[in-house]
Amino acid sequence: MTRLVTQSIPTISVDDSSPLLQIRDLEVGFTTQYGVVPAVRGVSLTLYAGQTLAIVGESGSGKTTTAQAIINLLAGTGRVTAGQILFQGRDLTALTATEMQGVRGSQIGYVPQDPMSNLNPVWNIGFQVEEAIKANSDLRGKALRARTVEVLQEAGLSDAEDRLKQYPHQFSGGMRQRVLIGIGLSSRPKLLIADEPTSALDVTVQRQILDHLGTLTRDYGTSVLFITHDLGLAAERAEQLVVMYKGKIVESGPSQQILANPKHPYTQRLVAAAPSLASKRIQAKKHDEAADIYSSGGTDTALIDRAAIREELAPSGDLITVQGVSKMYRIRTKGLKYTELLAVNDVSFGIKKGTTSAIVGESGSGKSTVAKLILQLESLTSGSIAFDGTDVAGLKGKELLKFRRRVQPVFQDPYGSLDPQYNVGNTIAEPLLAHNIGSRRERQARVLELLDQVSLPAATQFRYPSELSGGQRQRIAIARALALKPDVLVLDEAVSALDVLVQGQILNLLTELQTELELTYLFITHDLAVVRLVADNVCVMQKGRIVEAASTDDVFDNPQQAYTQELLAAIPGGDFEFGR
Amino acid sequence: MASFVTRRLIAAFFVLLAATFLMYMLVALSGDPLEELRQGNAPNKQQLMDSLSMRLNLDVPPFLRYFLWLGGVGQCFVGQCDFGVNVQGLPVLTLLEQAMGSTLQLVTGAQIIAIVVGLIVGITTALRQYSGYDYSITFASFLFFSLPIFWVAVLLKQYIAIGFNNWLADPLIGVPVVIGISIVSGLLWMSFLGGAAKRRLVTLGVATASTAAMLVYFELTNWFTTPNVGIVGVAVTAIAAALGVTAISVGLANKHAVRGALVTAVVGIALYYPMTYFVFPGMNLPLFLALAVGAIIGGGVIGYFFGGRDRWQSARTSAIVAFIIGAVIALEGFLMYWNAYFNSTRINGRPIATIGSATPNLGGNFWIQGIDTFTHLLLPTIAIILISFASLTRYTRASMLEVMNQDYIRTARSKGLTQRTVVVRHALRNALIPISTVIALDIGALIGGAVITETVFGWSGMGQLFLEGLRHIDPNPVMAFFVVTGLLAVVFNLVADLLYASLDPRIRVS
Amino acid sequence: MSELNSALQVPPSDGGSADETTIEQRQTVGLSQGQIVRKRFFHHKGAVISIIVLAFVIVLAYSSVGLHMFGISIPGWWQWHWNATPPLINRGVPTLNLIPGPGFGIGPHPFGQDQIGKDIFALVMRGAQQSIMIMVLVGAVGTGLGVLIGSLAGFYRGIGDALLMRFTDVIITIPFLVIGAVVGRAVGGFGAPVLGLFLGLFAWTGLARLVRGEFLSLREREFVDAARVSGASDKRIIFKHILPNSVGVIIVSATLLMAGAILAETALSFLGFGVQSPDTSLGVIVSENQAAFATRPWLFWWPGVFIIVIALTVNFIGDGLRDAFDPRQKKMPSPKALAKALARRAHATRTPK
Repeated sequence: MTRLVTQSIPTISVDDSSPLLQIRDLEVGFTTQYGVVPAVRGVSLTLYAGQTLAIVGESGSGKTTTAQAIINLLAGTGRVTAGQILFQGRDLTALTATEMQGVRGSQIGYVPQDPMSNLNPVWNIGFQVEEAIKANSDLRGKALRARTVEVLQEAGLSDAEDRLKQYPHQFSGGMRQRVLIGIGLSSRPKLLIADEPTSALDVTVQRQILDHLGTLTRDYGTSVLFITHDLGLAAERAEQLVVMYKGKIVESGPSQQILANPKHPYTQRLVAAAPSLASKRIQAKKHDEAADIYSSGGTDTALIDRAAIREELAPSGDLITVQGVSKMYRIRTKGLKYTELLAVNDVSFGIKKGTTSAIVGESGSGKSTVAKLILQLESLTSGSIAFDGTDVAGLKGKELLKFRRRVQPVFQDPYGSLDPQYNVGNTIAEPLLAHNIGSRRERQARVLELLDQVSLPAATQFRYPSELSGGQRQRIAIARALALKPDVLVLDEAVSALDVLVQGQILNLLTELQTELELTYLFITHDLAVVRLVADNVCVMQKGRIVEAASTDDVFDNPQQAYTQELLAAIPGGDFEFGR
Repeated sequence: MASFVTRRLIAAFFVLLAATFLMYMLVALSGDPLEELRQGNAPNKQQLMDSLSMRLNLDVPPFLRYFLWLGGVGQCFVGQCDFGVNVQGLPVLTLLEQAMGSTLQLVTGAQIIAIVVGLIVGITTALRQYSGYDYSITFASFLFFSLPIFWVAVLLKQYIAIGFNNWLADPLIGVPVVIGISIVSGLLWMSFLGGAAKRRLVTLGVATASTAAMLVYFELTNWFTTPNVGIVGVAVTAIAAALGVTAISVGLANKHAVRGALVTAVVGIALYYPMTYFVFPGMNLPLFLALAVGAIIGGGVIGYFFGGRDRWQSARTSAIVAFIIGAVIALEGFLMYWNAYFNSTRINGRPIATIGSATPNLGGNFWIQGIDTFTHLLLPTIAIILISFASLTRYTRASMLEVMNQDYIRTARSKGLTQRTVVVRHALRNALIPISTVIALDIGALIGGAVITETVFGWSGMGQLFLEGLRHIDPNPVMAFFVVTGLLAVVFNLVADLLYASLDPRIRVS
Repeated sequence: MSELNSALQVPPSDGGSADETTIEQRQTVGLSQGQIVRKRFFHHKGAVISIIVLAFVIVLAYSSVGLHMFGISIPGWWQWHWNATPPLINRGVPTLNLIPGPGFGIGPHPFGQDQIGKDIFALVMRGAQQSIMIMVLVGAVGTGLGVLIGSLAGFYRGIGDALLMRFTDVIITIPFLVIGAVVGRAVGGFGAPVLGLFLGLFAWTGLARLVRGEFLSLREREFVDAARVSGASDKRIIFKHILPNSVGVIIVSATLLMAGAILAETALSFLGFGVQSPDTSLGVIVSENQAAFATRPWLFWWPGVFIIVIALTVNFIGDGLRDAFDPRQKKMPSPKALAKALARRAHATRTPK
């Protein structure tokens, strides 16, 4: 990954016209109290009119920084320290603040990442679109209003006229993202920078929005610079691909070519690990001979073997039986009145010992509530949950403690689930201490054993969560959950906050531990790809109900319900052919 | 909404009830009201003590006495307030009315200035975080925050009032003083306006030179003995206001707005002579206020007329310009009568007052009375501003910094909006939500908060009522003071909530 | 580990987050939160200078005229007692002279004397002792009560919470200066420690609300859930998880409470509702001597300067602590809750006008 690599990128040329955007040896640094920290190091790329180029990389790779540098929207102390950004031949890094205002919006549009935080909460939607049009045109009064409605309608809000006076908090995430896309395209810019425009959205919404964005930009002939962490998405949506790692470009070229034949080792691993791409293969070949998609070979066979062993070991009875469970929340509306929200509606399923079950659904489907109900963090409204034959609903005191020893959770947010004041050793030892298990020395030994199980060095015990990466933290959360030698782990979106490569490692660790410790897993996730990698059985939830429940293979190969089919179709990059 | 307010009011009522009870018991138990008489040696001591006992129901235990008091106050609901009598037998309600008027006069102007200055300084420090200006203001606000007001008051009296009065007897500015003041003013402007090195130097030069020129002009024309603005002064400030306000509110690129503001300025200048010669001699307060409103409306109309594409922006700009010009011309009105005030026998050449709220038996017209009020308000106002300013500045700065880091600010920038629009429309508008809460709570604490200021500057306001009452274990004035302050605190707490809900569309009170 | 991991070994496993964080992390490897806070605190120049100055003032005040309270009497190194009346030297003009040359040195009465000859240095030192003691007592009692009430309300919620918060509303309705004056009127004559204790009894409201808010938000955090499912008791969760994580907020507002307390105490004493003669405090000295400003300005300057120095240093230490605990790293409460909490804190610690 030296400079040489970056410079040897073949120039992309679609036609002979001069490029719309050309970045040459761009360097961006952030000034901190410890000096200037480089975030982008010598990035060069070229984008022609009408083309779509995707920058792919994990968090911290500098992809967003590169995009923000183009229109000088760098956060905080960031600034361009070297290089050129030529837009239609003009160097954007040399513009004054006022000149840059002329470029933003009218020449280069921007669609930001998180629809929840990117609309000003105190102005209505109409106003926020209107001011973008007003800043870049002479339209006023009725014409301005008409154009505002038009922009929103184009972005896919059919009832735009009625919704102008509404505020962002009255819009769903998908609708807000449509508004932001409308704003970005409102002045028909030549270039649109779309920074992870859908990563905060549910997979089906994501698909609709990206389709729509694709249609619009094609119609207007807008070039798109697409920033994403999802290789599948990039491959599906962009002709050209640039892979960034630690502030540098490691590989670039036509998407198909890179996916089919990744040259750089990092890209190879990325292609191999992306669950959205790999999942179909891995399960399809579960019982086939050793063909695999991992370049290194062997991995999925390991997974497959373990799955096979699990199946043989699995006894017939269910370890956890969920029977007709419902959960009602009472939401106070006005005065003393309440509305009732049925978060979980008559859900029944069973989990066999030693297997992995997954509950899949989009946000608001009630899947996390089910997890909380099983963990006894919330009380049931009706129905029953039995664990190893005993009803757990009414457990109190010692009985509850006993139950909790056997069913442990791993939470989604690796940053929120560890107490920042506790070092790793104390965090892992906490359950032992709470249950008064062993002497100091024994607990210490157990901590070391657990650290070893989750493949972290023994020295980690003296470190604090703030010093650790997301993946390391999640390993510690797993170690803590294992401390009491539980039978069941409830993993609530336990890998969804992690980068793909790290995600792969953690999933691998989990399956390994499963065979080793005969664990039963309940995965709560929105990510079908993850399900395919690890689960034996799947329950698909929608609006509080289970709409489909079957073995993983059945669900993926032969989905019965329309909703499940929709979910499967929305997985990005699903139809792609990938290289090894 | 209505049910929210009702519920809150009911809750507030009970809170206030409990608080008054607590307060009543504390005051009643803090000492013996008869102590003073008992230790005195008046011949009719026993008789005095008995009558006081009667008046204040001292034979009733405090616990029950509270309900007697509450019964009187409760009649406020039927329009017949009875706050009882004080130890001298005067009805507390009358005392309360006078005290409130006096206190409001003291704190209103000061609070408004403190809010305006605090907001401006807070916003500018946030926009120029970690600059020399920011650090200086930070240090200054910490210093102000740590000042005991009773101590500062003495300094103000000594240096601003006595020192300035002495100087006015023979107003001479020495050359070193001119140089010193000019350089300081230049540095202040430079740090305030900021910018690149070159712009800073230019600001420094221009500000220093113009301050020096002004001081020399004052000195040569004997300005301090015959102060006036003059047609030239009005013209210069009017044009400067027109350009300055336009630059800040819509930007000088908007030719329509600039034209509107300049026409407003010209109209203002043209009105200078008619106003000073014909209108000012017969001035009274209603007319004065009507003229102020007239100026704002007139300016607005001119601005709207010249507005071009964005009529309302332009109207707003011109209205502000008209108000500023009106203020300058009004200042001229006061200055015209300065000498009459200065040389009156009551003032005797020492205009800045150190104590009290008005010169007794001064007489004179609207302008003279106005000057008198001003000279009495000056010191306590400075004292209040110094202290309120500090917390508001810090709070505004923090709030602005918080908002400036939000994602939607970046999105606003990406639309191609100007820096000014982004700061005002997106950052300030959002930062104002918490700030307005603080300001509302501040206003709620206004009357009760000026106790010490009133004491040291000898205003017989609410503070006096409270302290005198407490000194003589006289529960009724103390309770009257507390009912007003407590009520204000509770009401403005509710106002703060409602304000919050009205400024932030995400919050729906229910 | 497994094949998958070894295959993925080229980028360091579990690759780090943004570069900025990594740099930040490199600086704090192996440090506990407490150590990180200490490190950040010592980066704040104003706070460090303030700590040194404040420590100097405290040592000076207690060592010079000695410790006299609760019947204990340890003499200090300064020659005069604050109530002694040595003969007036040169009208009582301060003898402190820091300009090298003749007369250089502190002299017999560095801060001067009042009209009857009392040594102002001794008086100011005694006043500073009393004011500092009241400040610390108000801070300690107010913080203790605030934490107790706030944490009970925030952790257990429900009816207890509602009752405690209404009680807080009642107390907070009464301006601190007002309740201070009433309390001072009643107990001011019993000496500074009693006054400090009683003022503290009414100074906890702002802190209680803040701590409650902190508890309400922390108890929803995942690590608290994690502790609960691993079997931790309420006691353990409060004392081992929530409280340590609220320490930043508590310490910062305790500091600001103390800065407000010294100004409130001096103001009360100035008004005659605080420390009573013959005992003294900085406010009493200013009050007794304000009329003499024209003739003996030193009577007025020195106590005032000491009030400002103490209040300013405490405020700066509070600011340094706030930076050190860096609230930006924490999950922010809702904007509304934050605004209200800040507003209340601003109120609770504001200089009484």
